[in-house]
Amino acid sequence: MERTTIIEKIKITLTHVLGHENFELTDDLTAKDVDGWDSLSHMMIITKIEEEFKITFKLRDLNKLNNMGSLISLVQSKL
Amino acid sequence: MKLIEILQKSIEKNQLSNAFCINNTYYTYKNFAQIISNVRYSLQESTKETNLHIGLITNDDIETYASIMALWLEGKAYVPINPETPISRNNSIIEQAGISTILDSSKTTGAFDHLTLRTSGLKNENINLSAKTFPKENLAYILFTSGTTGIPKGVPISFFNLSEFIQAFWDLNFNLNDEDRCLQMFELTFDMSVFSFLPPLLKGACVYTIPKDKIKYSYIFELMDDYELTFVSMVPSILHYLRPYFSEINCPNLRVSVFAGEALPLDIVEEWSKCVPNAAIANAYGPTECTIVCTNYTYTSLGDLKSYKGILSIGKDMLNTKTIIIDETMEEVSTGESGELCLSSTQLSLGYWKNEEKDKEVFFFKNMNDKKTRFYKTGDLCRKDSEGNIFYLGRIDFQAKIQGFRVELAEIEHHVRVYLKKTNTVALAFTNSINNTEIGLVLESNKFDTNPLLAYLKTMLPSYMIPTKIEFTEIFPMNINGKTDRKKLLELF
Repeated sequence: MERTTIIEKIKITLTHVLGHENFELTDDLTAKDVDGWDSLSHMMIITKIEEEFKITFKLRDLNKLNNMGSLISLVQSKL
Repeated sequence: MKLIEILQKSIEKNQLSNAFCINNTYYTYKNFAQIISNVRYSLQESTKETNLHIGLITNDDIETYASIMALWLEGKAYVPINPETPISRNNSIIEQAGISTILDSSKTTGAFDHLTLRTSGLKNENINLSAKTFPKENLAYILFTSGTTGIPKGVPISFFNLSEFIQAFWDLNFNLNDEDRCLQMFELTFDMSVFSFLPPLLKGACVYTIPKDKIKYSYIFELMDDYELTFVSMVPSILHYLRPYFSEINCPNLRVSVFAGEALPLDIVEEWSKCVPNAAIANAYGPTECTIVCTNYTYTSLGDLKSYKGILSIGKDMLNTKTIIIDETMEEVSTGESGELCLSSTQLSLGYWKNEEKDKEVFFFKNMNDKKTRFYKTGDLCRKDSEGNIFYLGRIDFQAKIQGFRVELAEIEHHVRVYLKKTNTVALAFTNSINNTEIGLVLESNKFDTNPLLAYLKTMLPSYMIPTKIEFTEIFPMNINGKTDRKKLLELF
């Protein structure tokens, strides 16, 4: 899957879970920069991304997600 | 003060052992002693002896923990202030507690600079851990929790209360020792943090914390796995987050797994016990007013788990606590019947911080075996079996627990009403798809853009109190008593 397609799908998922689109999906975007992205919504975002791409993350993968760039790479590596 | 002397001796005796592991950096008890002494020196230099209640910015670093120790060696109390909490709320705490000094380890400037004593980058002073002589009635900490009137209420805990708690903790026979590696996952504004750092420090064990920018549940797993933690205490909501990954978790080194702060469902504990095959699992209970926890249920095998309606028992009275269950007429109910759980304990706070009205509401005296005994009404609906095991059934009022934090739903409603003026509103606690509690808000109104409302709430309330879902309804349904039917509204979520 093209990187841009992945980004587009992640964007739709984020907007759906957070209920807003006040963010720009750059590689260095972190949860801290996005309104409402806390432990709870993080869990929901992860679950939705797993469903969307039909992949599963390992618990250890989750701690490596430092920013959007690492999330996109992780998704890419699982496809 | 005996407790503080034991703490001093433990720090001195375990110099070469690790006291903390913070963000993958170890600090020995010797490092810790040095930083405590530096903070203490600075504190002595700049605050009066009579200045007993000191604010503490709750960062995740060695200076913040050292500050607590420095204050305790001086017989002073800390009042935790979370820098992420809205400033209006922190100001209310500072004002109420009459705080004129705040210890802060941050390197950048903050909102309370005029009161701040910086604790990072201090120069090394002579190590001085000798505890001052002070009365046991001095306060060890004041925690502020959600208040129904919109103003947070303070719960003062004395050194006497704290030392009674520690005595009851040892009596649980977890046999904590200097080889233990212990998890501290709690924000310092929550008293389970004291449960997680104080007993380990008293025994020379090592405390592992969670950096603030990490996602808690996955980081907890990594700590447990990488550092082979032996003693962990958590809120049950962490288990709900970890549940999809249980098959990846195997921690044979874990000796003790304690839960507190929320109801603990039986099915998830049974699954969890397979991830931690050698651990004793304990379910502890207690309000902040009774110094952390005061009842506990420990079991080592899954054989005969005591539960009621799928929720694990909160166990029996701990060493210094006596519980009773009462009806509306304040009389004790018979065994097996439900009523309000009340606590009498040497761990019990002397009363709320400057709030006599609230004291009258929840503290009362009752004759027990011809002795006038002081009790605290918990607001928790419970029943007891013939062996004295207590079962939690729910709240009798409108208080909810969000990841262990107490939330008065009325406080949220108060702030919504202040902002929206004429709109009727109800805040509710609902259970989400992974069985954690979230806050929903119902507005009696036609639909409108709620972003400005949420933005306002974020300036007044900590993040765990912000509603995660908002629904609209034209007219609130009534129950047969003519009151708003909250049960019906709950169906919206």
